[in-house]
Amino acid sequence: MSIFSIGLSGLNAASAAFNTASNNISNVYTPGYNRQVLDLAELPAAQGVDVQGIQRQFDSYIAQQLNNANSKTSALDTYQTQVSQIDNLLADQDSGLAPLMQKFFSSVSDLASSPSDPAARQGVIGTADTLSAQFRSFDSYLSDMASGLDGQLQDEVTQINNTAKQIAGLNTQIALAKAKQGQAPNSLLDQRDQLVADLSKRVNVRVSQQDSGSYNISFGNGQPLVSGGKQFDLATMPSAADPTRTSIGYRDAAGNLVEMQDSTFSGGTLGGLLTFRDETLNPTRNKLGQLAVSFAEGINAVHSAGVDLNGDAGGNMFALGQPMLYANSRNAGTATLSVAFDPANASQLTASDYDVRYDAASGGFKITRIDTGESTTATLDASNQLSFGGVKVTVDDPTKLADGDRFQVQPTRIAAAGFQNIIGDPAKIAAADTTGGSGNNKNALALENLQTQSLVGGTASFNQAYASLVGDVGNRTNIVQVNLKAQQSLSDQLTDVQQSQSGVNLDEEAANLIRYQQYYQANAKVIQTGSTILDAILGLR
Amino acid sequence: MRISTQTLYAQSMRSMNQQQADLSHVGQQIASGQRVMRPSDDPQAASRAVQVSQAQAITSQYTDSRVSARNALSMEESVLNSVGDAVTSAKTLMLEAANGTLTDADRASIASQLQGIYQTVIGQANATDGNGRYLFGGYQDKSAPFVTDASGNVQYVGDTNTRQQQIDASRLMSVDDNGVSVFQSAQGASGFMAVAVKSDGTANAGSVTIKGPEVVDTSDPAYGTPFKIAFAVDASGSATYTIEDTTGAVLQPPQAYTSGQPVTYGGQSLTLTGAPADGDEIKVDQAKNLNPDLFKTFEKALAILKQPVDTPAKQAALQNTLGNAMTEFDNSLDNVLMVRASVGSRLNELDVVDKVASNRQLNYAQTKSDLVDLDYNSAISEYSLRSVGLQAAQKAFISMKQMNLFDLL
Repeated sequence: MSIFSIGLSGLNAASAAFNTASNNISNVYTPGYNRQVLDLAELPAAQGVDVQGIQRQFDSYIAQQLNNANSKTSALDTYQTQVSQIDNLLADQDSGLAPLMQKFFSSVSDLASSPSDPAARQGVIGTADTLSAQFRSFDSYLSDMASGLDGQLQDEVTQINNTAKQIAGLNTQIALAKAKQGQAPNSLLDQRDQLVADLSKRVNVRVSQQDSGSYNISFGNGQPLVSGGKQFDLATMPSAADPTRTSIGYRDAAGNLVEMQDSTFSGGTLGGLLTFRDETLNPTRNKLGQLAVSFAEGINAVHSAGVDLNGDAGGNMFALGQPMLYANSRNAGTATLSVAFDPANASQLTASDYDVRYDAASGGFKITRIDTGESTTATLDASNQLSFGGVKVTVDDPTKLADGDRFQVQPTRIAAAGFQNIIGDPAKIAAADTTGGSGNNKNALALENLQTQSLVGGTASFNQAYASLVGDVGNRTNIVQVNLKAQQSLSDQLTDVQQSQSGVNLDEEAANLIRYQQYYQANAKVIQTGSTILDAILGLR
Repeated sequence: MRISTQTLYAQSMRSMNQQQADLSHVGQQIASGQRVMRPSDDPQAASRAVQVSQAQAITSQYTDSRVSARNALSMEESVLNSVGDAVTSAKTLMLEAANGTLTDADRASIASQLQGIYQTVIGQANATDGNGRYLFGGYQDKSAPFVTDASGNVQYVGDTNTRQQQIDASRLMSVDDNGVSVFQSAQGASGFMAVAVKSDGTANAGSVTIKGPEVVDTSDPAYGTPFKIAFAVDASGSATYTIEDTTGAVLQPPQAYTSGQPVTYGGQSLTLTGAPADGDEIKVDQAKNLNPDLFKTFEKALAILKQPVDTPAKQAALQNTLGNAMTEFDNSLDNVLMVRASVGSRLNELDVVDKVASNRQLNYAQTKSDLVDLDYNSAISEYSLRSVGLQAAQKAFISMKQMNLFDLL
């Protein structure tokens, strides 16, 4: 009797509906779970209902939008976490560099008041020690952040590799299941989409779905991370241009590790870390170094021109970390270059790093400021030297240069790390000018005067330079915070849209449960009615 | 739009988090009293605050500098006071000693009084500040600037520098005066003086005493140029004098000398009395070119007072030297008073700059406060607003939680 089979198909459909609703309810808080709905269809010739399948409510277009937004949010969030640390460091107005520079000059002023007073001299040494220690500690805070950041890059790369490997694994399983059953289990699809969402929070990627059901995942520059069941590894590696900088390397199909540009990674935690390093951390270290160099060279020049209490010429008061030069590891030439500060052009010193590229055709060098991209050309002078940006680069043997050889010059990166007061004997402070005398304070006055002179980049006093550093970091932090807020609300909105499609609503499921209960009861009633009818027929006597 | 259960919770959490973060931010501001706690709160204000702090620090640095300048100048002023008193007493003694009725013994007693004053002045000239630094040595402040050499003369071993201090942004002030300018200088306006001494530095042998010089004609073309009156006495005893310039070139040919007659040259008139010896000379020049050294004056006066007067020549030397010494003491006193006046005006200037600086300091404090300090009124109203917001969000969450179909089944 078809009435039984129709009723039975309804009972089956109803319990399948119960299962779906229960599964939805139990997974209401499962990350990555997409709401499932029962797909019902009428059986041909009015034979009842057929359960066609269980559809997951997933919109790949919205998912992609959300992943992209989350990628940006995560980058900004990482950036903000990092930059806030510098922001907080600069927040304390009483222990920052500005008050310590002021204290140094104030002690120099005391020295000018009583140039032969040992206490005043000791005072200068004390404030010089404190100031230089603060410079070093400021720099070591930043360099600790840099090495912490390298560690984080390593972690991110490991996580990205793991996630990519899992996606590749799921690709294989899904393709297999699809080939076997025509459709892959929803749970596997959910898992894979969740992994893609996780991956997007670590790095910005592009996802394209293949006919086989596989996801191909690639970076902005087109290099694939996952291709079907195959996954390509990332690794951290020293940059060719600057071995102290950790770059992301890509292991290609041939097994070679190729350095990737930092600009490839604009999103995700990885992008946030790299952007922070290139945009804020290194420039801040450079600026701090520039301040240290200007301060030390300014004081040293005046101090050396004076005479100390023993009647000897005053030497340098501060030592500095020297400028660094790195030859690109891909250089064909074998020339050795060295770099030193150029005190004669101290006012040209900038907080930028420089890329120096040899051009064999013209025999000159192209010098590019890395922060602004401004470039100039220059040729070696008679003593094989190039002078730019307050530094002097010396080439040992120009004949050993090859076309396209590149060198990176970092004039001030580690300057603050080596900033140190080297005068320990109060008598060695040169308070007097060359006429000498214990009561001579001419040089102390000249030192005191440096406080208001524009010695940093030829345009700013020490304090102004520090104020601009504070303003810069504050601005950057502020911009990142504002952007993060905007981006976060975009992410939130998209999450809401995605959830409205794919999220479970318990009220809805509760209503469904009631509905399905009635559905089940109605179908049971159909069977019961069929039985009653049959009984009626069988009861005919 | 369909709302998923997760979204319901997430939205509530989001708004509660937001309200909580805002509330905590205002709370922190209230607790610290600062509107700008981190540079990112207001980068421009934070950066300007650094600069204002620097301006404040420099201003107080200059204030400290003025304190020590004031100390040094006050100390100098008090020393100059006692030097002035000492020189006045010395001058009084000279007047006493010039009394012609005094005996050698009387003069010896005056000499011993003068010796005492002399020692006082040397002591003051070698005065030190609290830290043992000599006030009048110029840059050489570690050792006494005035030392007595083997022959008993006081020599200046300091230098002629003056220590300066930055007492304001654009003001370098001298905070001491060296020994030369205090004890060994005469003012330009100190006038002319005539001394009876030969070119080789030995005393005149004759008994000519000098009165004057007095200025009679400032329009004389030779006015102001130094000259000397050289005497010649021939075998018959008749004396002539020649006016010569400092190198010995004759300015005015020999004239007969008559005791008590004025001798006039270059607008200056001297009255010479007594009998000259052959080769005697009288030098006339501006006082500052002759002997501006206070210590030499003392030494000279002491030497002449201790010398017994037994010949007319010695009598004349006594009279001339005492006369010169009085003029020189007057000049030295003028000089010391002049330096003192300059010290006083510097002290006044310090007071003026102090006032300006304290006004400036107030302005800076105000500016800084405007930049980074909190406006409590608006912060507290903000705080209550945020608390209401948070409470509302919490209430909304609770009522949302209760609205659940399962509870009604």
